[in-house]
Amino acid sequence: MTGAFVRACALASALGPDLEAAVERLAGAPAVPARNTKTGGAWPYFAIPVAEGDWRRRAEAIARSVAEDLRRKAALAPAQWAALPCIVGSSSFSVGAWDEGGWAALEPSFDFSLRLAKAFGVSGPVTAVSTTCTSGFAALDIALGLIAQGEAREVLVLGVELRNRLTVAGFAGLQLLSATAARPCDRGRDGLVLGEALGAVLVSAVPAPWRIASLASGMDAASVTGPSPDGTATAKTMRAAMAGARWESAAVDLIKLQSGGGPLADLAEANAVRELFSPVPRSVSLKGALGHTLGASGPAELALLLASLARGRVPATWGFSKPDDALGFAPSGGNAQGVRRVLFNLSGFGGSVMSLALENAG
Amino acid sequence: MTVYLLAPAALRIAPDDFSARVRSRFASELRRAGRFAQLCLLGAQACLDAAGGDGPLGVLWATGGGALDATRAALDESLKLGEPAMPFTFIATQPHLAGALLAQRSHPVTRAACLSLAPDAWPSLPHLAQRWLADCERVLVGWVEESASGGAAHRSDWCLLQKKMMPGAVRCEQVRSPENAAAATAEDWIPRVAAWHGSTNAPLVLRGSGDAWRFTLNG
Repeated sequence: MTGAFVRACALASALGPDLEAAVERLAGAPAVPARNTKTGGAWPYFAIPVAEGDWRRRAEAIARSVAEDLRRKAALAPAQWAALPCIVGSSSFSVGAWDEGGWAALEPSFDFSLRLAKAFGVSGPVTAVSTTCTSGFAALDIALGLIAQGEAREVLVLGVELRNRLTVAGFAGLQLLSATAARPCDRGRDGLVLGEALGAVLVSAVPAPWRIASLASGMDAASVTGPSPDGTATAKTMRAAMAGARWESAAVDLIKLQSGGGPLADLAEANAVRELFSPVPRSVSLKGALGHTLGASGPAELALLLASLARGRVPATWGFSKPDDALGFAPSGGNAQGVRRVLFNLSGFGGSVMSLALENAG
Repeated sequence: MTVYLLAPAALRIAPDDFSARVRSRFASELRRAGRFAQLCLLGAQACLDAAGGDGPLGVLWATGGGALDATRAALDESLKLGEPAMPFTFIATQPHLAGALLAQRSHPVTRAACLSLAPDAWPSLPHLAQRWLADCERVLVGWVEESASGGAAHRSDWCLLQKKMMPGAVRCEQVRSPENAAAATAEDWIPRVAAWHGSTNAPLVLRGSGDAWRFTLNG
């Protein structure tokens, strides 16, 4: 059990430049992402609808916009805000600057993280962390440690992944991308669609509606680029999250799936879910709407899910239409009444697996 | 919680010797692993060899430059030519690859993370390791840096932190108000502990930005 709460969230994503626009958009008809020539023309890509331009200036503009929204929602005194520690999770940091500026434009991940912190107007200690696609939650884990050890009352957690050709080329090289659309949990799924996002979560020791009941980490060493087919490590991590939260499996009302439309990865996660739950609770994937935003996906999807639940809706899983019998369950959106406990899965390259238990404290 | 430190070691490898060192330790170059991951693995494995024991591990390391060689290979050799990045030079896989490779080769790894910190923020590493020790028996903590120039050596510095006291282990305690603490950085705190280890019975106290850690020979 942790004594940490989600005080405020903000998001820039393909669904819109801010969280409110994203939730509004998510309630509407699904959209298919455009093929973004900035990241390689052959693949669809979920880009943030912010004006093109110099990579670094665009990144800073996105950060300032998210910061403004978060700051307004957080309602901290100016001195408290300025003193916030900032933990940044990403798999690519500023590698996109190379696309336009070559080697001279690249900077160490820590320097880019300092730049983001500055754009947020915070000057507390900065830490950068990479655990591939779980980086945003690795950042959250560090934040929970600072709060648990009494080092901080509030911590700013950022998950950031911004457009770059290298990430798309890497996933293309691994043959993990769909040429058309992300179809999480769907019978016709054929790969991931990548996206960019900046998700910001202000974690606090001060009680707020959503309490972070626990965050569990695991390692799936079966392969460095995909999960064990039986989902063993994912099941173990989910079990650890529930144990940390002191929940029985029947207590879980909703599972936010990692599922991004990868044929084997979705199946592995489904195997893990079925091992732990009977019947399987409601589930949702957000990668059909945001794309797989890699190191940003934890904070980005957390922000979007909590904002949707606050409006009384479990979002529909964009891209899903035909159930896959092999998975044994299907995601379902709709009224969020009764959703009080959420299990939130992430996994990534290098075998990193994380599961977050969230509880609505009312 | 008091933690105990074992086998602090500062590995330095001249760039020209790197391949031979990898072959010597692992019988061959590690397929599908870039230089950064191999460098992590060489140092981590040396630390584990010296520490002995077994059981689930956390692996936590920091770096300044990260996977330079893999980044160059991916950007200059693949992307400029319009080719897909090769999976194992692909930058997103690099920082985390070492933990997975270690898990596949020798020890069960329960969690791993690669950090970048301000130079004086090194106490974050033992702090975080201390927290991880609630879930696993031992945590490998390291600093890994590829040589950015021909003359400098690659660096892979590691120590093992654990909950269990044992002969020869170094007792590590956080000190809130350090007296006579020497300033240390993320790059040099492990080499300084390694140099001190066994050289004197007097405790070593190193400080960073927020606090300090006292290292005392146990028994």
